[in-house]
Amino acid sequence: MPETRTIKKILVANRGEIAVRVLRTAREMGLRTVAVYSDADRGALHVRLAHEAVHIGPPPSGESYLVIDKIVEACRVTRADAVHPGYGFLSEKAEFARALDKAGIVFIGPRPESMDAMGVKTTARKNMAAAGVPTVPGSPAPIAEEKEAKAFAESIGYPVMIKAAAGGGGKGMKKCDRPEDFLPLWQSARREAGGAFGDDRLYIEKFLEKPRHVEIQVFFDAHGNGIWIGERECSVQRRQQKVIEESPSCILDEKMRRAMGEVAVKAGKAVGYRGAGTVEFLVDAGRNFYFLEMNTRLQVEHPVTEMCTGLDLVRMQIEVAQGLAIPAQEQVVRSGHAIEARVYAEDPARNFMPSPGKITYLRVPGGPGIRDDSGVYAGWLVPQFYDPMISKLLAWAPTRERAIARLLRALGDYHVHGITTNVPYLRNALRHPAFGSGDYDTGFCARYAKELLVPPDAKYEQTALIAAAIAAFKRDHDEAEAFAARAGEAQSVRSNWARIGRARALRGAVR
Amino acid sequence: MSTYVALLDGGKREESIDVKLLSPGVYEVKIGDQLHVVDAFKHDYGTLNIIVDTESYSVQLDQRATEVKVHLRDSVFTLEILDEKRLRMRRAAGKFTVEGKQTLATPMPGKVVKVLRKVGDEVKEGEGVVVVEAMKMENDIKSPKDGKVVEIFVQEGQAVEGGARLAVVE
Repeated sequence: MPETRTIKKILVANRGEIAVRVLRTAREMGLRTVAVYSDADRGALHVRLAHEAVHIGPPPSGESYLVIDKIVEACRVTRADAVHPGYGFLSEKAEFARALDKAGIVFIGPRPESMDAMGVKTTARKNMAAAGVPTVPGSPAPIAEEKEAKAFAESIGYPVMIKAAAGGGGKGMKKCDRPEDFLPLWQSARREAGGAFGDDRLYIEKFLEKPRHVEIQVFFDAHGNGIWIGERECSVQRRQQKVIEESPSCILDEKMRRAMGEVAVKAGKAVGYRGAGTVEFLVDAGRNFYFLEMNTRLQVEHPVTEMCTGLDLVRMQIEVAQGLAIPAQEQVVRSGHAIEARVYAEDPARNFMPSPGKITYLRVPGGPGIRDDSGVYAGWLVPQFYDPMISKLLAWAPTRERAIARLLRALGDYHVHGITTNVPYLRNALRHPAFGSGDYDTGFCARYAKELLVPPDAKYEQTALIAAAIAAFKRDHDEAEAFAARAGEAQSVRSNWARIGRARALRGAVR
Repeated sequence: MSTYVALLDGGKREESIDVKLLSPGVYEVKIGDQLHVVDAFKHDYGTLNIIVDTESYSVQLDQRATEVKVHLRDSVFTLEILDEKRLRMRRAAGKFTVEGKQTLATPMPGKVVKVLRKVGDEVKEGEGVVVVEAMKMENDIKSPKDGKVVEIFVQEGQAVEGGARLAVVE
């Protein structure tokens, strides 16, 4: 029987919306909370919401949020007994979990051995294949020789994907359609991988036609229990960056869902997993599914699952870290449909150029079935140093159709001034017939790039001009009035001291 | 009555608008030969509700340094709105043009990660001259015209403020 231990104070080793998300649950559980912040984040929302806050260095994350020693020191100073890493930053660094363990601090996440086992892609694939989990056909290990690699590509047939063994984020990843392109692409992928990860080992996978990205949320405790909590469809992606996620996926039926869920639990058990994890699959046009990778952390899009199940995944993570048991598989009941749209500070009309800066005005939607997981507020200066995501807006409804309508309505009520956001782009994506039909794959954003950038509707131009002109008139009019009021005030001096002073000055009595 | 001029499509198009206050909150607005009586109510910073006939529009006016972004229903119109005095000043300052020397500036603060061209290089319109990284993404700052790079103000690794000058193309 694993020991249970009490957690009293949690340090959140992150920033932005996920730090806010974790702090909310921690406070609901009556725990003390600690935020960490860089120079750029002194005024950030997560610092406002925590009981204590520790400064950890200059804005670049390499000198603050990514420095293990600084986080451990912040725990020591505040006597925090546990750390929640959020996602990104140190969340998937096994050495971070080990450093905390050495300092006697609970890491709210998997054991470092599980993170190691899933960290290198070819090792993860080998572990999964050994556990009987289907993987995308490809080379079982990294291939050193380019001639050998080309021969392997020919044996499985083009198109193929060349991938970095240490990969992630699309770096060192190339699609190759024809044998004559193979060598230059292989060399380019090797350079990119070496530069990005300091590890230029490559392997080859078969390219799947029209793949969909479907992932399964899994949860394990220290008592040997493992469950799956439904899927998330994440095929609306732009440059390997997810934009819209939903659950359930339109491509799964109950039988396939259960099969994928059971495979995902098997994948986690194979590496002795503990806590929250996500097993990512590619689903091909023939509805075959293949293991892609396991993310050993809480995902950005976890609220989609929370809305469909009523569970609080952060609370479950903290409970598992305390040694408590997770609910049984039969206790997980899913209902309705949830969709998440990621609000980014970027300008789709200018090739999605980032748009950091001061938020001069912010009004967010409410109403039935809406959840806004935001990390910003009006007056906040969105820093240039971090991820451009400022919020995740979610809608839940009994059916997919109604969830889309609800999210569209809510996005229409989402007003951010001072910086440019992708809100109109999100609305166009949700309204697109291919999204509406549910028949879309990871090529959606690229295929419909033009249709998703709709210019303003000419029929509203006159009304826009009327509004802008009245606003300008009001501004000028109010200014003139305020000026007149000030002038009037100056004439009727209220203070007797001022009156005496002025009278004396006129007589020339006092200089 | 006050007359305003709206500059649309980056200054390529102009519309003249006359505004007259009829009674508190009620305006007569003339655009071209169209005359509208409009009931306007300013809710808070940047939010204006206008009723034209019986149609009600909640309009968001996001005022930036020079331009205003008008959000209305599903559309966003970017325009500059000037009164007659400001328009004269603006005209005196010269029309929008890509003739002659063009200064490249970064629209957002960030870090220069690469300078792609050096002084004396020929560039085509739309070709990147400097790469600025912001929010973990790299962005090409492109030349607005065909020409030659005559000046570069930044070095790789340098931090830049929003609006900072990067290079001059002639």
